[in-house]
Amino acid sequence: MNPNPAQAALYNDTVVRQFSIMAVVWGVVGMLVGLFIAAELAWPELNFGIPWLSYGRLRPLHTNAVIFAFGGCALMGTSYYVVQRTCQVPLFLGKLASFHFWAWQAVIVAAAISLPMGYTQGKEYAELEWPIDILITIAWVSYAIVFFGTIGIRKVRHIYVANWFYGAFIIAVAILHIVNSAAVPAGWMKSYSAYAGVQDAMIQWWYGHNAVGFFLTAGFLGMMYYFIPKQAGRPVYSYRLTIVHFWALIFTYMWAGPHHLHYTALPDWTQSIGMVFSLILLAPSWGGMINGVMTLSGAWHKLRDDPILRFLIVSLSFYGMSTFEGPMMSIKTVNALSHYTDWTIGHVHSGALGWVGLISMGSLYYLIPRLYGRKEMHSVPAIELHFWLATVGIVLYIAAMWIAGVMQGLMWRGINGDGTLTYTFVESVKATYPFYVVRVLGGVLYLGGMLVMAWNTWMTVTQGRSVHVPVPVLAPAAA
Amino acid sequence: MDILFLLIPLSVALALIIIAALGWAVWRGQFEGIDAEAQRILEAD
Amino acid sequence: MQTALDEPAEWEGFSRPLAGRDGWRECYLAIEGMHCAACALTVEHALALLPGVDNVRVNGASATALIAWSPRLTRPSAWLAALAGAGYGALPAGDLLLAAPRRQAQRVLLWRWLVAGFCMMQVMMYAVPAYVASPGDITPDIAGLLGWASWVLTLPVVLFSCWPFFSTALRDLRHGRIGMDVPVALGIAIAFGASTVATFDPTGPLGHEVWYDSVTMFVFFLLSGRLLEQRLRDRTAGSLEALMRRLPQTIERALPGGGFERVPVRRLVAGDLVRVLPGEIFPADGVVTDGESQVDEALLTGESMPVPRGKGQLVVAGSHNLSGMLAMRVERIGEQTRYAQIVTLMEQASMDKPRLARIADRIATPFLFAVVAAAAAAAAWWWSTDPSHAVGVAIAVLIVTCPCALSLATPAATLAAAGALARRGVLVRRLQALEACASIDTVVFDKTGTLTLAPMALLATRCRPGIEPARALALAGALAQHSLHPASRAIAAAAGKVDCIATGLTELAGHGLRATVSQDGGRHARQLRLGAASFCDAPARRHTALGLEVHLADEAGWLAVFEFDEALRPDAQAAIEALRAQGLSVQLLSGDRSVSVQRLARRVGIEAAWGDCSPEGKLRHVSRAQRQGRRVAMVGDGVNDGPSLARADVSIAMGQAVPLAQAKADFVVLGGQLGAIPLLLSQARRTRRVVRENLLWAAAYNTVCVPLAVIGAMPPWLAGLGMALSSLLVVANSARLARLPAEH
Repeated sequence: MNPNPAQAALYNDTVVRQFSIMAVVWGVVGMLVGLFIAAELAWPELNFGIPWLSYGRLRPLHTNAVIFAFGGCALMGTSYYVVQRTCQVPLFLGKLASFHFWAWQAVIVAAAISLPMGYTQGKEYAELEWPIDILITIAWVSYAIVFFGTIGIRKVRHIYVANWFYGAFIIAVAILHIVNSAAVPAGWMKSYSAYAGVQDAMIQWWYGHNAVGFFLTAGFLGMMYYFIPKQAGRPVYSYRLTIVHFWALIFTYMWAGPHHLHYTALPDWTQSIGMVFSLILLAPSWGGMINGVMTLSGAWHKLRDDPILRFLIVSLSFYGMSTFEGPMMSIKTVNALSHYTDWTIGHVHSGALGWVGLISMGSLYYLIPRLYGRKEMHSVPAIELHFWLATVGIVLYIAAMWIAGVMQGLMWRGINGDGTLTYTFVESVKATYPFYVVRVLGGVLYLGGMLVMAWNTWMTVTQGRSVHVPVPVLAPAAA
Repeated sequence: MDILFLLIPLSVALALIIIAALGWAVWRGQFEGIDAEAQRILEAD
Repeated sequence: MQTALDEPAEWEGFSRPLAGRDGWRECYLAIEGMHCAACALTVEHALALLPGVDNVRVNGASATALIAWSPRLTRPSAWLAALAGAGYGALPAGDLLLAAPRRQAQRVLLWRWLVAGFCMMQVMMYAVPAYVASPGDITPDIAGLLGWASWVLTLPVVLFSCWPFFSTALRDLRHGRIGMDVPVALGIAIAFGASTVATFDPTGPLGHEVWYDSVTMFVFFLLSGRLLEQRLRDRTAGSLEALMRRLPQTIERALPGGGFERVPVRRLVAGDLVRVLPGEIFPADGVVTDGESQVDEALLTGESMPVPRGKGQLVVAGSHNLSGMLAMRVERIGEQTRYAQIVTLMEQASMDKPRLARIADRIATPFLFAVVAAAAAAAAWWWSTDPSHAVGVAIAVLIVTCPCALSLATPAATLAAAGALARRGVLVRRLQALEACASIDTVVFDKTGTLTLAPMALLATRCRPGIEPARALALAGALAQHSLHPASRAIAAAAGKVDCIATGLTELAGHGLRATVSQDGGRHARQLRLGAASFCDAPARRHTALGLEVHLADEAGWLAVFEFDEALRPDAQAAIEALRAQGLSVQLLSGDRSVSVQRLARRVGIEAAWGDCSPEGKLRHVSRAQRQGRRVAMVGDGVNDGPSLARADVSIAMGQAVPLAQAKADFVVLGGQLGAIPLLLSQARRTRRVVRENLLWAAAYNTVCVPLAVIGAMPPWLAGLGMALSSLLVVANSARLARLPAEH
């Protein structure tokens, strides 16, 4: 117990800056690819007959870029920021954190090259081939060491709840990645899954579902529990509820996976379990959402004046919406209509664009000026513009997909009196065309907002300078 | 459904790990006197 | 006082060596002035800034701080100064060190509960397939896998979470008695044992039915009830402790070479010679070596009249030296004193079992025997047809019975009520009294002083010719400053600083003070009396119809009269009104002159008032009312109240003037707030209602469910759920009492 711990210790914000900037860059790239494939669905000739522009190769590039590049960088940057500030110590092994950054960028670049070239394991959200999987594992282990090491050397006795969420995200994703990516290599960029047939499907959706639960939910909830109180300047509505939220969420999420496999070769009872626990999941999800939104109770006016806060709160309402929609869609009768239609795409994007996208953007808008010694972003009206572009874009996107999905479901199940199908598949594709066009329009708006953000970030960063924030010497309570 | 022979023991192991983490938190007093903790993050920086 | 804290001898009282850090100690502080979460951080910062203070943890809810500190680097007074600078008051709270085992118990129970809860959720998940799947859908190997997984996660519940049930049941059995944990433990053990056999030998005699989900759920809900009960109990204990908290006292100890020095009480050892001034509390048990005085030992002996103490007589720690200075030789200190034993007794009061609870306990034993017998009989009956079903029925009978609801019904409710009252400043000295309190129909105020403000305003002074009023007041003040009687305090306050010295002072309860008062170095000594008219040979005069009078007399007879206006307590009228609104008859008895008593009664709205009452008269009055079938609550605060307080069905002390009468009473109202009395009475009635609801529910539940289980109409999971919810209902119903009703 040194009574005078390192007087001039500085927070390690360099890696936070790197991740934050790359989150914006990868956001633009990933969304651009998304917009392009949306356009391909409306106008298939856009692939120009070039194999690496084909939908099948660009779609995994889009999902990987927005989830792991944009979302990943945002999560890693904010978690490094939050863990230092709430533990009041600089990062444990700063050099390893730096290694983590570069390794992660290497993964992204490798994905951006290998996926269009057609290298894939064929597992959704886990397409990358085995050498890249190993690199991911190395980067992830470094991440875990730095993060938990920082918690280990903390100067604040209590571990703030955001760190619990980030920590669960790091551990769960590590387990999911290792179990799901287990494969037998058959050459440098070729491998066979360790599991076969329906077993592989089960593992894949155990992975896929929990990746949503721990990567796209737990991680971003950590972000939410730090940045909403900070931006609002008020403590979270009920801290006790945040703790209950955390434990309830991590305990119930694990079991809902089979709902992705309704009406497949999976035994009926496993599907039923998936449904039951998806419905149970509603409770902790909404508890968390209400807790986040009610943080503003008594200060709702701030929502009117502060576009960053609006990003954060509106993202929570999309979180509430999609965590309600998800369990509904896991009910087998609803699923009979929705499965394999564009409704699923709409559901995913209300979560992705609305929840993940907006919460990350809001948090980055909070973070970037502070990292570059500015009070606020270069242009606050530009944030306002971004907010409206993004919101209108999301509404166009998900409304189009809902209508298209329900229409497709109804057309596919339409049966004539003699037992033949009323519509051929291609008829349903044709009928979907206008909605695909509306989706492209929504995508244009959302990407447009992201470009505004990129410009705003550029102006903020070039006019600012990297600041070095000292760790407060008044560390109140050692662990 | 052989895969359940992997997934269910895995879930048992995870449940035990989560319970262990919870126990760590209880015995380290992470759930005691938490009223000020929500406020603390606003004080820092 | 604060410097006393810096004495190393004091540290033992409120801090202890910190395990694992040589030379460091840890200490609890009770913080005053905290009212929000941000305050906790401010306090934390203020303390953490100090050198030699470390590991500060502030608990906002209980307004306490735990710190580690190094005596090499800092002193307690430095923390208090730092806190004062930040705007907070603080007291070292040694009693919280004693509460450490309680915190430990809390953690253990919370941990047991969490283990049971999370294992239950997980086991449920493994159990759901059996409920949702159509028959034959789950292959035997998968069913076996699910059973194995459930078994692994039920194991910690049975081995760890259930431990309290098993250990209590074992203890009971070893002593040859049967407690409420016996059927519980038996049910859990049989259910788990049978399920284990069924899991690992599905073709065996017990079939393949498993009850892991029932066991874990049952344990979880049972522990939920215990957890709630523990929280309730701790909150009550916490409130009581906070009120008993005090700064360490100091006392004058004789120096070897003559003279006295003031030292902390904790530094005393047997054989020390100490001097106890009037108004001080005796620090230890011992023998008087010099001086004469009146000593109030009500706290320790229940004797409410002060007793004379002189050379060679025993005095006990915690009693109050009223009149003269005494020198004493210390014989017993600290834990060995009578006072320490009394404090223990007071703590035990919160554990004492009300009558209804004792009755419930008496019923419980034969009831539990019957249950175990019924379970065995039912199992024997079904065994020949289907052993698996027989085990299920036995388990259901064992766990469906809810003696918990029966035995929890009263203590849970009274404890919750007492905790709520304590937070409002009403100390419950005897839990039993809450029951008596519920049937009170008459409230008697035993003194005008309970209705009026203690510092009375001096209205007028009239003197024997030839005496200046100011002079008379100064003489009276010299006497009055040695007494704690409200009238004396008023005179002392009015007189201010006086230049006379009173020696050989004695206080005659119910009459007044007598002392020799001298001035200018003793040249002008006179024997003075201060007190009631009769005590001072006051001339019969026309009544002034005003409030209280205090007379002064010397050797030559009556000297002066001081008239006081009795200012009503601000909440007096509202409180009386609230009592009458509750349908109670409110009366006033007083030793003061009838006219002023009647006048006061009219002002506050009391219909029945009697003045000129002697202590015996008050006692007669109470007895008479009781013979008429009335149930009397007595409210008093003075030295004279003892006999009638004891005689009344319920006694309430207004803990303001003399701290000693408190011990005699069933309830002590701190801070003299009259509004707490109607609150206390209505809370007592609510408590009685809740207790009755609880008992009724427990009886009804058992009458319906036990037969159902015996005939096999109740599966174990439903039995477990029913029993657990039944106890939870009782605890939750009692927890309603933890919140007081809105005040009138």
